Amino acid sequence: MRELTVIEAVREALGEEMARDERVIVLGEDVGKLGGVFRATEGLFDRFGAARVIDMPMAETVIAGVSVGLAMRGMRPVAEIQFADFIHASMDHLVGEAAKIRWRTGGDWSCPMVLRTAYGGGFRGGPYHSQSVEAYYAHAPGLKVVAPSTPADAKGLLIAAIRDPDPVLVLEHKRTYRAIRGHVPEGDYVVPIGRAAVAREGRDVTVLAWGMMLHESLAAAETLASEGIDAEVIDLRTLAPLDRETILASLAKTRRLCVVHEDTITMGLGAELCALAAEADVLDMPPVRVAMPDIPGIPVDDNLEDAVLPNRATIRSALVRLVARERSRSSGAANRAAYDPGIPQASSVIEVALPEEHTRLAVDALVQAARAFPRFNATFAWTGIVEHADVVIDLDLGPSSPANGRGTITLIDYGPAGSDLAIPFMRPGQTAAVRIGAVRDGRAYVACAVDHRAVDGADVGRFLATFKSAVESRSLRHPELVDNGVR
Amino acid sequence: MTHAERERAYRALSLARALDERMWRLARAGRAHFAVPCSGHEAIGVGYAMAMRPGVDWLAPHYRDLAALLVLGMPPRDVMLCFFSRPSDPNAAGRQPYAHFGSRKLHVLSQQGPQPNHASHGVGCAWGSKLLGDGSVTVIAFGDGGAQKGEAHESMNVAAIHKLPCVFVVHRNGWTQSVKRSDQYATETLVARAAGYGIPGIAVDGMDVEAMHAAASEAIERARAGDGPTLIDAACVRFMPNTSNDDDSRYRDRAEVDAQRASGDPLLRARALVAADFAARVDAENTALAEDAAEWAEAQPLGDPATVMEHAYA
Repeated sequence: MRELTVIEAVREALGEEMARDERVIVLGEDVGKLGGVFRATEGLFDRFGAARVIDMPMAETVIAGVSVGLAMRGMRPVAEIQFADFIHASMDHLVGEAAKIRWRTGGDWSCPMVLRTAYGGGFRGGPYHSQSVEAYYAHAPGLKVVAPSTPADAKGLLIAAIRDPDPVLVLEHKRTYRAIRGHVPEGDYVVPIGRAAVAREGRDVTVLAWGMMLHESLAAAETLASEGIDAEVIDLRTLAPLDRETILASLAKTRRLCVVHEDTITMGLGAELCALAAEADVLDMPPVRVAMPDIPGIPVDDNLEDAVLPNRATIRSALVRLVARERSRSSGAANRAAYDPGIPQASSVIEVALPEEHTRLAVDALVQAARAFPRFNATFAWTGIVEHADVVIDLDLGPSSPANGRGTITLIDYGPAGSDLAIPFMRPGQTAAVRIGAVRDGRAYVACAVDHRAVDGADVGRFLATFKSAVESRSLRHPELVDNGVR
Repeated sequence: MTHAERERAYRALSLARALDERMWRLARAGRAHFAVPCSGHEAIGVGYAMAMRPGVDWLAPHYRDLAALLVLGMPPRDVMLCFFSRPSDPNAAGRQPYAHFGSRKLHVLSQQGPQPNHASHGVGCAWGSKLLGDGSVTVIAFGDGGAQKGEAHESMNVAAIHKLPCVFVVHRNGWTQSVKRSDQYATETLVARAAGYGIPGIAVDGMDVEAMHAAASEAIERARAGDGPTLIDAACVRFMPNTSNDDDSRYRDRAEVDAQRASGDPLLRARALVAADFAARVDAENTALAEDAAEWAEAQPLGDPATVMEHAYA
């Protein structure tokens, strides 16, 4: 199977389209004899001549502007902006003109132009040779934005862009140009615009990425596979319009979302993708974004650039945290909480093996459980949930020895005179209360009530399971703890 | 100009004025959103539009180029559809306000708001002509305000480098809305800029339709012969406020404008080129045409909200 690098695939697409259609011309800075600073147009000048491979002045506004005019006139210009960092001088023509021409004329005119540019960091280019600019342009209805990550897509999407009846911005990650090699079909090969690809199938979490971040995400997913985390990685390929169908199908399966992009985080494409998932209500927990912090530029210093660019390690740890988080909803076919044997079916009540005299044992077990689940030993305040450092049991042993209200969690145990099962009442300022029912034949029901603003229902089950396990193991291992002492 | 050409020029100048005045009154009466008067500029557009080959050459027009559009064949009713921003407007389909002209059929490039972004579009169009070898020429017109932007410079530079078949015409009325000439550029005219690009420059009285036609003919033929672009500095006076939203009494002396109009009105000057009874008859016909077009267009239906997403993409 023939393999090419991304840059070779771009070059092949340009050459094939220029040979196929005389209306296709290439223009930009240094695209002629030099073949472009990245060599995307190498050989085209000799093959097609100066009339169709045009070195332009260093003037990005007019490079985009004449491309608009050429396209309106029926040509198929493929303009190159050397670095995406310089594209902003073209923005008026891309967003203000090309994107609007068909719409503003009711379809009388169209603007089938292509503008390619090299974006992305990771090669010590500094703030003016490293930017990711997709968010600015994906925000412009009427403009299509593609971002191939593999050699095959670099060819197939560029050919699709050239043949598209509307303006297309092609974002090529400059680090993929030579670092990424892969199979590229020979001859006419079109990858449809608007379709994402599942780059790696998985069931635990969906990662959305493009460009170099796709490859970093795939690498992170491989390291996680051995740890039992099965990540699905989706190569968006087209950033505008988004392939909602493929994205939502994946999220319906995994119900967890992580978006990875090199662009800065605030108002980046990740925000739109998270909103898409939230509006479709397909997530069991909040999504996660791995992106550049909000810094004005990408620093050139080795340490500084490495510190701010997302990479396989930062993606990996984000995925580990995301998968470790408990699901916050109880719906959904893939909800693992429903099948967790650690959670009793009625999660607020559990049956515990308990001796008749057990108060000291129960207090110790409750302390242990409260330490394992700090949310049960907390105070809900409208400014947030305050988890207390110490566990202070507010013990309520009946009318003759009621709770004093000064603890951080309440334990109610009325002994053999009490009911088999009753609802415990929480004291103000606490988030949980536990009540032990009367022991019958060495067993008792233990109930738990919580402030649901602070504690999730599934956690009540885990908390009680921990309490049960502590009581039962300690009553066997430490019979001396079983007494009737604290009263 | 031949006698027939003078009559044709007069007809267009007169119709442009009749439509212009009608639109101004309707906008002031609140019957439409927006008027962009062209009076004072008409001879410039009539000059180049009559020098262009209909159906062959292309125009990237100035927004005060109503007269040129009429010469190229836009019917008064289409002008009024544009004025009333109706969805049936062939220029902008109810999506852009008046004066954002455009028509594939008439070879008029679709116009935009930011000036003069169409300069580079016109250069691209001319580049298409060169690549296709179809012998067509593109006329690119913008104001002296637009001429101050980097867009104009970059466009003229690229056209000059590649000797593209186009003509740049500056409608130099001395005002960018409220900003006077001396706050826009330090020279009296803009014709000297041509030398900076290595292309010929022509300074012309843009209110003299014959002089304008001669200058445009020379430039268009030079472009068609493969000798590259020309910059035409066409001096004119903007008789009216910038648009119907403008109050020019805040920044200029109306009496001075009225005096310039009395002595230089391109319509009055062209009237001297034709017979008096011809001019009177044409003026009366055009007044009626303008009224008919306005009444008809205003009665056309407004847009259907269900169609607003149409044509965002192919």
